[in-house]
Amino acid sequence: MKDAPGTILVVEDEAQIRKFLRISLEAHDYIVHEARCGADGLKLYANLHPQLVILDLGLPDMDGQKFILHLREWSQVPIIVLSVRAAETEKVQALDAGANDYVTKPFGISELMARIRVVLRGYEEASTAPTLLESQGLRVDLSRRDVRIDGAPVHLSKKEYELLRLLIASRGRVLTHQQILRGVWGDAHLDEIHYLRVLVGQLRQKLGDDPAQPRFIVTIQGVGYRLALPAT
Amino acid sequence: MQHMTLIHGKFSLAGRPVAYVVAVAVVVAAVGLAFPVHRLMPHASLSLLFLTGVLIVSARTGLGPSLVASVLSFLAYNFFFTPPYLTFEVADEGDVATLVFFLLMAAITGNLAARLYQEMARRHGSLRRISNLYEFSRRVSSAAGAEAVLDALADHLSRSLDRPVAVLIAKPEGVPAVRARAGQPEAIRRLLIDTAWTRDSPEPFVVEAWHFLKLAIQRESMGMVAIHGQVDAEQIDLARSLCDQAAVALDRTRLVADLEQVRLVSETEQLRSALLSSISHDLRTPLASIIGSTTSLLEYGESFSEENRRDLLATVVEEAQRLDRHIQNLLDMTRLGHGSLTLHRDWVDLHDIVGSAVSRMRDVLKGLPVDVGIADTVPLIRVHGVLIEQALVNLLDNAVRFSPADGRITISVRAFGECIEIELCDDGPGIPEDEREKIFDMFYTVRQGDRSNLQGTGLGLAICRGMVAAHGGSVTAHDGSNGRGTCMRIVLPLVRPDEKGRA
Repeated sequence: MKDAPGTILVVEDEAQIRKFLRISLEAHDYIVHEARCGADGLKLYANLHPQLVILDLGLPDMDGQKFILHLREWSQVPIIVLSVRAAETEKVQALDAGANDYVTKPFGISELMARIRVVLRGYEEASTAPTLLESQGLRVDLSRRDVRIDGAPVHLSKKEYELLRLLIASRGRVLTHQQILRGVWGDAHLDEIHYLRVLVGQLRQKLGDDPAQPRFIVTIQGVGYRLALPAT
Repeated sequence: MQHMTLIHGKFSLAGRPVAYVVAVAVVVAAVGLAFPVHRLMPHASLSLLFLTGVLIVSARTGLGPSLVASVLSFLAYNFFFTPPYLTFEVADEGDVATLVFFLLMAAITGNLAARLYQEMARRHGSLRRISNLYEFSRRVSSAAGAEAVLDALADHLSRSLDRPVAVLIAKPEGVPAVRARAGQPEAIRRLLIDTAWTRDSPEPFVVEAWHFLKLAIQRESMGMVAIHGQVDAEQIDLARSLCDQAAVALDRTRLVADLEQVRLVSETEQLRSALLSSISHDLRTPLASIIGSTTSLLEYGESFSEENRRDLLATVVEEAQRLDRHIQNLLDMTRLGHGSLTLHRDWVDLHDIVGSAVSRMRDVLKGLPVDVGIADTVPLIRVHGVLIEQALVNLLDNAVRFSPADGRITISVRAFGECIEIELCDDGPGIPEDEREKIFDMFYTVRQGDRSNLQGTGLGLAICRGMVAAHGGSVTAHDGSNGRGTCMRIVLPLVRPDEKGRA
């Protein structure tokens, strides 16, 4: 299955954007299906079950946010959102609704390709439930709760470990503040972003990570955090 | 008490020298009448005649003239008609009683009359005050702005008090300044204003020749009224009631002004956010296509087929042109908005204008057929050609966006009396009746999701209308010819070649 080309559904109303997406994706051996509006997109998805959906947030017939909520009712397929809107709230809303990642228009094709690879790989690995992560000297064995930097064991508190586990489980995609708060503290503390800031600071310190040049935890201002994964 | 005397004068002669003359005259008349009557009746009955005179005097005048009349009447009666005649001697005890009755009668009726007059004067005073207040309240309640209220207040105060008046209004930075005056008041010294303003009391503040009254609503001082000269308590009450009304009216005008300000700000805000979202969306979408296509070519171009490479390059050109049109629209809008659009009218052939508009839009039309029909009777017109072409391009752009794939656009031009009519019809979905005016508003786009490629910047039609209006023409939306689609109609006033000298 691993070498089989992925099928990607592009839901986008701008013909010119669909065109270069199709040409570039097909050059990478993906099979591309196109939909001009949300209703067509949902119909095509139900028929074709693609491995990935690339979704424009501004659709002529429905709000992209609604499309995500709709799709998430019956599918966990990875979704990458395209939006001309630079507003953070739009992105956060889409991610909270269940989108896996986003790219802001205008974007370079390589940026989108990188996101597609990360999301598809993360999705695949999540389904095979990996227990071991090795990246740039960081080694995390989830089955034994063992964290090492360059071979030396690192002692993490319960919450720090929980945060690291969440970031690893999301395989390099962005986690919103809300998603992390819910995962680590539970539903009662969704507004306590300062808890999160402090915890991320502690975790970075213990992993020897520099926020200015992060090796492991990348800050997405106004949106959330992402685990930096080495390009493969 | 000047005006009180005036009112008295209407009904009585009380308090004036002429009243005493009247009293004397009445007694003289009584004496004159008494001589002939004396022959017919006994002298005791004559006292009734004199009593009548006293009553008349006291009813018409006041206490003083009545008493004068009664003493004179007694003396005349005693002198002429009681024995011994032509002396002031009193022979009879009864005549002393007559004198006492005369005096008593005069005192009682004189008093009664005086009280009656005072009462009437008071009634008239309050009636005048009420009608004054009524007139004032009518004036201030219809006042459009604070200025009118202040003028009315100064005017009425000055007229009803008969004193010079100045109205001062607090400025945001503190001490109030004179904003209205009536009756030519002299300048008020700054120190007096400062002292009066800092006093925190609703009572009038009296300093030098000035009375200061606060203009306040719910303890919030808006300003002051300064009255020059002596005023009594009643006038202060009058002034205060005028001030209270003026304060309410001022508060109202202030609210109206605030509301107007809020409305203006929110409209500007809406326009600004519409402009921002238009720029952010309509400039970025073509850019997204251009950046996406060029990076695709740069990164993976070698693996693309020749056809795909050309296709992507064509996209880049198309989208760059689209970007250029958006920028042109934004520039045009700014020019129209600033009124800095100058017309360079020249004789043009509509065949040329329509032709070049259609050929400019060839890439956008993508094979959509355009039927052009220009009647032979259509003359040359004197317009700013570039602007009319742009107006047509914007209409075409709009028509293409709403046309179905197998659609058709028709352009027909006719001469119509003193006008030229250009009609551009599509077979798109049509425009609902109630939106046919709104589509010409800036940034208005027919609702369809939050955006779509059916929509433009929401500027094109507004610009079209602006450019046609600059030529004295109009653009309107109508039903399509056979119940389908939309017809946009441009009507331009005709300036014929033989009017060259004039135009």
